Amino acid sequence: MSALGHYLEEEGIATVAISLIRPQTENTKPPRALWVPFELGRPFGPPNDPGFQKRVLVAALRLLERKAGPVLIEDFPHDDPRAQPDPEWRPSFVPTAPAAEGADALALRLEAEVRLLDTAHRRWVAQHGRTTTGLSGLAIADCARYVADWLRGKAPPSPRDGFSPPLMLRFAIDDLKAYCLEAAAAGPAKPSSRQLGDWFWNGTAPGEAIHALRAAYLEAEDDRLKLIAGNFMVPAARVRA
Amino acid sequence: MTRLIDLPPAQAKRLAELDCPDFATRPWVTGVPLAERRVAIVSSAGLVVRGEMPFRGRDPDYRVIPSNTTAPDLLVSHISINFDRTGLQEDWNVVFPIDRLNELAAEGTIGSVAETHYSFMGATDPVQMETHARELAGRLKSDRVDAVILSPV
Repeated sequence: MSALGHYLEEEGIATVAISLIRPQTENTKPPRALWVPFELGRPFGPPNDPGFQKRVLVAALRLLERKAGPVLIEDFPHDDPRAQPDPEWRPSFVPTAPAAEGADALALRLEAEVRLLDTAHRRWVAQHGRTTTGLSGLAIADCARYVADWLRGKAPPSPRDGFSPPLMLRFAIDDLKAYCLEAAAAGPAKPSSRQLGDWFWNGTAPGEAIHALRAAYLEAEDDRLKLIAGNFMVPAARVRA
Repeated sequence: MTRLIDLPPAQAKRLAELDCPDFATRPWVTGVPLAERRVAIVSSAGLVVRGEMPFRGRDPDYRVIPSNTTAPDLLVSHISINFDRTGLQEDWNVVFPIDRLNELAAEGTIGSVAETHYSFMGATDPVQMETHARELAGRLKSDRVDAVILSPV
């Protein structure tokens, strides 16, 4: 991000960067940056808090009027109020212990739990007017089926031109995560990302399926599949030892 | 609050020590007061308008986001899975603060909002993005943009 600022500024456009990782910004030395003490993925802070977001944005933009620089790096002083867990939040369902072991049983549970989340996800869409699923271009039931087929070891072909099967798997997994996490966040409570992640990665069938896919394809012969399994399925904070 | 100390140690170390370009120059462009500036968002979140080609891995180019894009039509195709997406699922302004910019323009804090905004995919080596970033500067100038807010994830 800071490097983009450098290139644009060299071309004559004034820039100010939001910095989420201060050491990186200090190393790159952009013209101007505002470091914010927020979680990665939330450069402007809490969702649906226009006042707070605006304070971050204005604090950054005001750096454009400062005379002292380059390099100008300032710190935003307030933490994200939505980083705290909401004790009122309840997940859409509590996963139960699987009746059977093995990849085929898990694949069936995956598809069943995605169907189970349909009502909650409809509630989410009605509440927020949007879904962030759609990278794969597949309907969510087809996404679940595609991921389940990989879990069954079928190595299904990609249904989209220009998307290799491993890339399609990555996008289908991204869509599944988005669908489940949106469904889980439907309703009036304001869960933290950690609450949602704890629920998803510690027992839901889609979460277990992604853990299992990572383990199954970590040593795949296809380098793209191996790379995706190792780095782009399970977040580093959720990888099991 | 989440800082590097809250991340798994290996991830925090990798992020803090990421190889960054060592630039020979220190550019610094000044300009008119903020109330007269025309502001564009340039994100590195791998944003893409629904239906257009997502970032496939570490593509070094950028995607175009017209200012009339609506929230239901903006997707995130960043390759990294190590950042929170639940915030922007709930509210796109967490990453793409277009509603806040429009409010700032309406109340006169900034001059105006650009016609078009842009996104790169931030896990790409910045050196690979350079040509595209310099070309983008020309597009921004033709839209009379004189201030860019850079939004990472």
